[in-house]
Amino acid sequence: MKIGIMSFAHLHAEAYIQNLRAVPGVEMIGLADDDSGRGQQFAHQFEARLFRSYEELLEAKPDGVVICSENNNHRSLVEMAAAAKVHVLCEKPLATTVEDAKAIVDACQKAGVLLMTAFPMRFSAPLMEVKARLDAGDLGQVYAFKSSNQGELPGKHRKWFVDKKLAGGGAIADHTVHLADIMRWYLNSEVVEVYAQGNQIFHTKEVEVETGGMVMLTFDNGVFASIDCSWSRPPYWPSWGGLSFEMITDRGAVLVDAFKQNLTVYSHDIQRPSWYYWGSDMNQGMVNDFVKAIRKDRQPKVTGTDGLKAVKVVAAAYESVRTGQPVKLQA
Amino acid sequence: MRVGIVGAGFMGSTHAAGWTETGATLAGFIAETIQEAQPLAAQYQVKVYPDLEAMLPDVDVVDICSPTHLHASMVLKVAQAGKHIVCEKPLARTIEQGQQMIAACRKAGVKLFVAHVVRFFPEYALAKATVSQGKIGRLATIRLSRGSFRPKKPVGNWFLDEEKSGGLLLDLMIHDFDYARWLAGEVESVYAKKITTTGHSPSVDYGLVILKHRNEALSNVAGAWAYPPPTFRTGFEISGDGGMVEFDSQATAPIENLLQKARCDSPDVGLPSSPVTEDPYTTEIKEFYTALTEGCPVRVTAEDGLAALQISLAAIESARTGEAVQLTPLPEVKP
Repeated sequence: MKIGIMSFAHLHAEAYIQNLRAVPGVEMIGLADDDSGRGQQFAHQFEARLFRSYEELLEAKPDGVVICSENNNHRSLVEMAAAAKVHVLCEKPLATTVEDAKAIVDACQKAGVLLMTAFPMRFSAPLMEVKARLDAGDLGQVYAFKSSNQGELPGKHRKWFVDKKLAGGGAIADHTVHLADIMRWYLNSEVVEVYAQGNQIFHTKEVEVETGGMVMLTFDNGVFASIDCSWSRPPYWPSWGGLSFEMITDRGAVLVDAFKQNLTVYSHDIQRPSWYYWGSDMNQGMVNDFVKAIRKDRQPKVTGTDGLKAVKVVAAAYESVRTGQPVKLQA
Repeated sequence: MRVGIVGAGFMGSTHAAGWTETGATLAGFIAETIQEAQPLAAQYQVKVYPDLEAMLPDVDVVDICSPTHLHASMVLKVAQAGKHIVCEKPLARTIEQGQQMIAACRKAGVKLFVAHVVRFFPEYALAKATVSQGKIGRLATIRLSRGSFRPKKPVGNWFLDEEKSGGLLLDLMIHDFDYARWLAGEVESVYAKKITTTGHSPSVDYGLVILKHRNEALSNVAGAWAYPPPTFRTGFEISGDGGMVEFDSQATAPIENLLQKARCDSPDVGLPSSPVTEDPYTTEIKEFYTALTEGCPVRVTAEDGLAALQISLAAIESARTGEAVQLTPLPEVKP
């Protein structure tokens, strides 16, 4: 099976290219990028073929592509891939507007190609374990989540992350979607109301988007959940950030920290502790599932619709920030 | 490739699960009694063999998960039959047995793998890689700990018979002796203290050992069969002149259970503390499998198993005599 990568704008492409190469029977055919300097840099770094254009990459007839462009370019690239009858794994958030996200889902549906949203947390070993326990009834009935997906300022790695037009927003757009998706998955229920507040106190001079955010979701089944989506981690935090939650149920609580499986390394060279993650690679699980979905012609474990639902939550969150009031969503 | 497993306890069933993730086929099990092997044989729809002689013609590899004192005689039989061997740790009960086993396998031209699984745990493997990359400079002190409760067995608890198992210092602590040696190299001297209580309830074993490595690094290894079930925790702190690597299984467990005691109508919850995608035992068996099929190197050799055994036996001697024990380098085993 042949798979290519469209754009290296998102830093996750650097992981996915290695994940693709690790899947038996998959040929990673190369990459294309509309930023030729960036394309050359990563083609060189990963010793991969650089196609001169997205068109040329699609003409090589890959079975699937992984799209890692700036968020607002997802739509045009997905539409190109779908038109070429190529299956798509698209980085999150699926789009910067609900309209674009819908168009992405529609384009893939019409073309009859699979669309997977890159929500790798669904393949996190600890999070999968909790899902299995929840489904088995071991943890009781969920009442609420207190959750956080905090990080450092992502502009450190890629400038466009903090560009409102290219990224679709700041911390709220970047870090609400993972937890919203996990909760939808855990609860089998949809978000019906979103309340959000944002601010711009962290890194205030450096960026024009919100860097702090607090979101409250209410689900169709009555479960409520807070999400701290802030880029609040100081630059000397031991890792990029993390994702954790407390889940309150009718039997008590379960505390989950998806990125806790670390060694703590103190090195004279950098004069601060670092966390070296030794837990399982969730990106690999996600890429494996994309390949398996293509091979078996079945839906991937996270679909385009899951991506669209998360985009709707983000849009409602920004609407709430604007109005200062909770915003209703159609379940 | 067909694999026969000797032993139907925890390790036999864990290794069986690992083999099913490889291209090998399970042929069957041997246990002390036919009844003991039946549940596993039924699960995998394979045979129960009455003894090694019956199993050997059907297999290419024998995976020995029997009590420690039986390893030597079984390995010698399997080697003589020209079959490859995976042997659970400790390699043997005595140095002489271990040397004979390695020599017999060399002579017969069969592979002998020793299942020191700690080297395959991702946290231990990453710490080893971090040290090897020079991130913490020259190793100075190593602290390793491993604690649980006294092993239980429905019948015939050989773990508690020191003649058979070597007790805590051999059966449990050999894991960390091997790991210390993997990190810091050969050991020069061993000093050990141990308490084993009897007649108390609950009875406990606790051991503390100081190793001096030939490169002057020092290791402090702690082993406990003293905690309440189902506790199992491990940790390390590896320090060099350029930094430190730290790990604690409890502190890094991603799932913490704060559930109220189960109602009578709901199941008791045993949440695994640190779920991973691939069981380290499976990683280990896969590595042995690719070594057999493709000749790839393995991260732990039978000679490593013998050297770890030597440290454990020195610790037992030191705990008994109260004296530090100097280790003499083992001669290279000749076929």
